[in-house]
Amino acid sequence: MWLELIIRLLLSPYIFAPLIYPGLVTALAILLTLIWLERKFAAKVQLRYGPLYVAKQIGGAPQLLADAIRFMFQEVIVPRNADKVPFLLAPVLAMSLGILPIVFIPVAPGFAGILINFSLPAALALSALMPITIILMAWSANNKFTIHGGVREAFITIAYEIALFVSALSMSMLYSSLSLQDIVEKQALVPGILLNPLAALTFFVAMLMSAGKLPFDIAEGEQEIVAGPYTEYTGILYGLVMGAGYVQLYVSSLIFTELFLGGWHPLFEALGELYPPLGGIALFLKTYLVLAFAVFLRCVYGRYRIDHALRIGWRRLIPLSILALLLSLGLRFVGVVV
Amino acid sequence: MAGGGNGFFSWKELTSPVSGEKVYELFIGPQHPASGHMRFIVRLDGDIIVDVEPDIGYVHRTMEKLSEGREYIKNIPLFERATIIDSNNITLGYVKALEKLLGVEPPPRAKYLRTILSEMNRIQSHLYGMGIAGIMLNHSTMFMWCFGDREIWIQLAEELTGARLTHSYSIPGGVRRDLPADFKERFEKAARYMERRLKDYDKIFFSNPMIRSRYEGVGVLDKDTAKRLGVVGPNLRASGVRYDARLLGDYGAYDELDFEVPTREEGDSLARLLQRVEEIKVSLSVIRQALEKLPEGPILADEYFKKLPPKLREKVLKTGRVKFPAIFATLRPPPGEAIARVEMARGEVFFHVVSDGSPKPYRVRVITPSFRNLVLLRYLPRGCRFMDLLAIYGSVDYFPPEADR
Repeated sequence: MWLELIIRLLLSPYIFAPLIYPGLVTALAILLTLIWLERKFAAKVQLRYGPLYVAKQIGGAPQLLADAIRFMFQEVIVPRNADKVPFLLAPVLAMSLGILPIVFIPVAPGFAGILINFSLPAALALSALMPITIILMAWSANNKFTIHGGVREAFITIAYEIALFVSALSMSMLYSSLSLQDIVEKQALVPGILLNPLAALTFFVAMLMSAGKLPFDIAEGEQEIVAGPYTEYTGILYGLVMGAGYVQLYVSSLIFTELFLGGWHPLFEALGELYPPLGGIALFLKTYLVLAFAVFLRCVYGRYRIDHALRIGWRRLIPLSILALLLSLGLRFVGVVV
Repeated sequence: MAGGGNGFFSWKELTSPVSGEKVYELFIGPQHPASGHMRFIVRLDGDIIVDVEPDIGYVHRTMEKLSEGREYIKNIPLFERATIIDSNNITLGYVKALEKLLGVEPPPRAKYLRTILSEMNRIQSHLYGMGIAGIMLNHSTMFMWCFGDREIWIQLAEELTGARLTHSYSIPGGVRRDLPADFKERFEKAARYMERRLKDYDKIFFSNPMIRSRYEGVGVLDKDTAKRLGVVGPNLRASGVRYDARLLGDYGAYDELDFEVPTREEGDSLARLLQRVEEIKVSLSVIRQALEKLPEGPILADEYFKKLPPKLREKVLKTGRVKFPAIFATLRPPPGEAIARVEMARGEVFFHVVSDGSPKPYRVRVITPSFRNLVLLRYLPRGCRFMDLLAIYGSVDYFPPEADR
């Protein structure tokens, strides 16, 4: 009886969604496999093996697990000049703010941590909080490299945020709803990317900028400023800040999939009857593909100069996203989408 | 503050540190992901570089002084450690000066073999430089590709000399080993692969619009300034000055081979990198010609070959591997001095050897190309953006151990 209660509690969307899928556990699993995949991809392109030595039979797949364990036992050094409370708090905040938008993202019809009609702006607004924690890290570490990285992050944030929001809102305009649930339902036949490819492009580029992935890993800027805002972090705190970027990428990929790639369609009804998120397994697969593509870009690109990235943000992405908005308006006017 | 890195700075401007409240000072290196064995003291006004002070000497090994305590022949392995990736070129300068002092002339076949190894060194050294330039823009694919393909030339050099990097191949009056039997075919295979790969590099790196935006018009070095700063090597030629110590034709087999020294006019970072690509192509053609024209004959000058015991002489002829005659242990050049200039991958190296008649040199002065190109790191980044510093550093192909000696 107790067991049944616990299981029912665990399987209720209010617990299952934030904790297991698409929440914490899935995010962790994606973190562990995606970085491994990224390194294997890069290795394939660059004519080498990639991670190999932790469990050779499966191609070094648990490498990231081994790294995480090592992070756990590594000494955490707090610089003498650092502002200690924000320095220690910022990585935790970054990780939690990074994962928080997930409670608003439905993964199957009617299955979300918090099911509201404004899930799209709510998720975007929460994910927009994360750069503040990065600037907090940079400032509290009190190091010239971190401050430089923090300033870069601030610049970049302003450049991508507008384009990200406008291109997301152009999709909600197209489907005349602010709820991700409704937007996905209306893509049952035609995915949004076919109707408004412009918005998909701007959203994707802005998403790369927000996650700090190549070619926009400017705030991190290893070759110039060591690790940017993360320079002074060691041990598990470094693990957290490194993971936070990937978690952010995961969340925005989820939103990307729901806005442009038809979300959980095609829906597996039979599996869905067993347990709702199982029916929406297509969402997970599509998201993973988007993630894999995003991390693959590092094999092709170097790092943009910051003024070029800002120019891309202000002069290209924002006008293009406004064009996407107009495109949506036109499509609605013509009556392509009901 | 100078704009865009044009215009020439006076000595006072170059040496007086810029400071003030607006200036943000960053110490980059020597413990830094991209600094190499050196430190940059960078002063920034916002994102614009006001001043860069390259602080060198972290890998200074007192080579000039060490050489005064060693016999002449032992200095060959010493000097090649200055530039381990370009070792035959740098030792060739020393050996050439030594041969001038001794009055020895290497046989033609040895000259050709030296040329072949020199050009192979040049190719792999350029690949090294291009790879480093790639990773400085965080382009890891270029880095890995260049370093992977460099391996082919290292292995080829190993077949010829027995060592991957520290060849010690050129010795006074000749070379240490003869060409292996199937070398020509193996070279041809490697050359074809390299030509194919250069096209791949072009696709992923040099024609990549993202990379071009980082390099084009960044760190422009005009012709006059390049001459005035005394820059050498590909950096000079990328600014449109046709100067190359190989053109003097007084060492190796360069006077008998037909090759064109490429130059470019733009003088920006992209030009400096593309210049290296062109030079790899030229080097391939030079090796091809040298292998074609390779004369038969001895690989060690007669006066030394005769000094070997008859049994050893036969063995050397049979195996193609030179055994050093006993006289090499205490070579005593007559008192006097000699200079030599040799074109290394990064530019011209200058050797000045002074002998007082003893078995050890009285003084050896080395001026390496990286040391002469260092001034660019002071001069070019001014007025550029902070992130351009690394683009310029990569394009100049500065190698700290070579400059520090």
